[in-house]
Amino acid sequence: MQLLSIAFMGLAALITAYLIRHYLFTLVALYHKKEAPPSSSNKTVYEPTVSVMIPAHNEEQVIERILQRMTELTYPKEKFEVIVIDDASTDKTGEKAKTFAKNYSFIHVVHRDPAYGGRGKPEALNRGLKHVSGEIIYCFDADYYPQRDVIEKLTACFINPKVGAVQGRVTVLNESHSLVTRLVALERTGGYRVDQFARNELGLITQFGGTMGGFRRSLIERLRGWDPDMLAEDTDLTFRIYLAGYKVKYVNDADCYEEAVENWRSYWRQRSRWAKGHMQCAFRHIWSVLWSRNLRLREKVDGFLLLNIYFVPLFAVLAWILGAVLFLLQPPGWMNLLWMTVPISFYSSVGNFAPFFEVGIGAYLDGRNRICWLIPLLLLTFMLNILICTKALIDLCLSKITGKKRHKWTKTVHNGNGSHYIK
Amino acid sequence: MASKECRLGHLGMRPNFFHMAVGSVLVTTIIFLHLQLIRKFDLPALAAIGFFNLLFLFLLFPLEGPLLRKIVLLIAGNHVGALWYIIQLSFEDAFLFLNTDLFKIIALIAKPLIDFVWIVAVWSLSLSVLASYRIRMERLEKS
Repeated sequence: MQLLSIAFMGLAALITAYLIRHYLFTLVALYHKKEAPPSSSNKTVYEPTVSVMIPAHNEEQVIERILQRMTELTYPKEKFEVIVIDDASTDKTGEKAKTFAKNYSFIHVVHRDPAYGGRGKPEALNRGLKHVSGEIIYCFDADYYPQRDVIEKLTACFINPKVGAVQGRVTVLNESHSLVTRLVALERTGGYRVDQFARNELGLITQFGGTMGGFRRSLIERLRGWDPDMLAEDTDLTFRIYLAGYKVKYVNDADCYEEAVENWRSYWRQRSRWAKGHMQCAFRHIWSVLWSRNLRLREKVDGFLLLNIYFVPLFAVLAWILGAVLFLLQPPGWMNLLWMTVPISFYSSVGNFAPFFEVGIGAYLDGRNRICWLIPLLLLTFMLNILICTKALIDLCLSKITGKKRHKWTKTVHNGNGSHYIK
Repeated sequence: MASKECRLGHLGMRPNFFHMAVGSVLVTTIIFLHLQLIRKFDLPALAAIGFFNLLFLFLLFPLEGPLLRKIVLLIAGNHVGALWYIIQLSFEDAFLFLNTDLFKIIALIAKPLIDFVWIVAVWSLSLSVLASYRIRMERLEKS
């Protein structure tokens, strides 16, 4: 009984720590004053050669849209190249990309053979890395649609030699398609407008999202590219960058649209991969983060909390069950007080690991009033995330037991519905 | 309080400390009233009400918007909370009359979710009211 009580108190304390962290982020996003970013009309003085990698596996519905957009970007074309990695596509992705490559000299296509291709984004990116020549490398998913001056805005951060990578903001393109896309849009708002923004401003661990971001080629070569065994190659790279002594910067004004998953099945598949990958990263990096000499104390604390974020839904449920059991078995006086923390644990964990108030303030800052009405429905994604994270943990433990190293990469299907929203 | 910073969007806003001061007086009064009203000093119910009021105080009162609107929203929200609590109590009494603790156990276990429903819904609606006000003011300034 005493052991259960200690476990319950520990969980309540951990969840309260997350709640405080996110409340702090919300306040920073609301009230932190920062210097005005350079306007898009200003020419950046720093214009290194830039390569954009677009890994694409069966993306025929969206590949033309992003390549067309690449031709419209305002970055000087003589310092710019686009590498499309046709990752063993069985549809017309390769052909469509080739047509663009014929018409635009700065677009190149790398084909991967079906015998060894199509096994996930990290492998495709590693292959693409052999073909790039730019000092700065950017990654865009095939379903993305960036602002015209996004490269200038992101590249400006690399003037600082300590900046190893940069991340822009992602906004949902097909938001009005379904309830799922609307909820994903809400999660993105909280995640980028508040969470990433605050972490950047506070000098904590800003996350490189794997797409709509870039890094120094010298750094990625030093880090030996992406690890194909990792399902969340972006989180893995983020921590490797920080452990190597570099920083990741977030640029809120560099905006890019993405096509969000449109149904619950796709949501489940995508989040399962993220959860499993993130947990892999937690197991791999947690000790290195805590003992690193390249990280400050606040970065270590934030890194620890960030690495464990996909365990939070499990902690919340565990606290809930433990609290109820303890209360029913032997309700002592202090139990009432601790039981109060259980609702808070739920409030702090709803949504994509951002509390509802963080999401709400993100929407407020973006001037989105109606979307706030959907915030209570984030309870649905939270319930789903409990199942997703539980399954991910079980899968990982089973693979540890059975000695299985490689996990299957589940690709998110993009059907190009987002194109309707582009004028 | 449409400061220059607010209009620029990318810069931080300044919290409205006067509204927060008024809000803290109101919130203290409301919590005191709840302490008097809530039966048997029901801590979880009081915690939910307290959490809602603090949420309002720290994440709605400092935002842009007329003070009167914020006060009305806070009082309306507390009424919803009290109503929610009364409904729960009436169910509890009904089941007690039937001589079963079943509802009490279910209510205890489901409490986090039950409280979540009203707190988040009321707070989100209130936030959307303030967001609408902010958008309207920005449009007016632009025009």
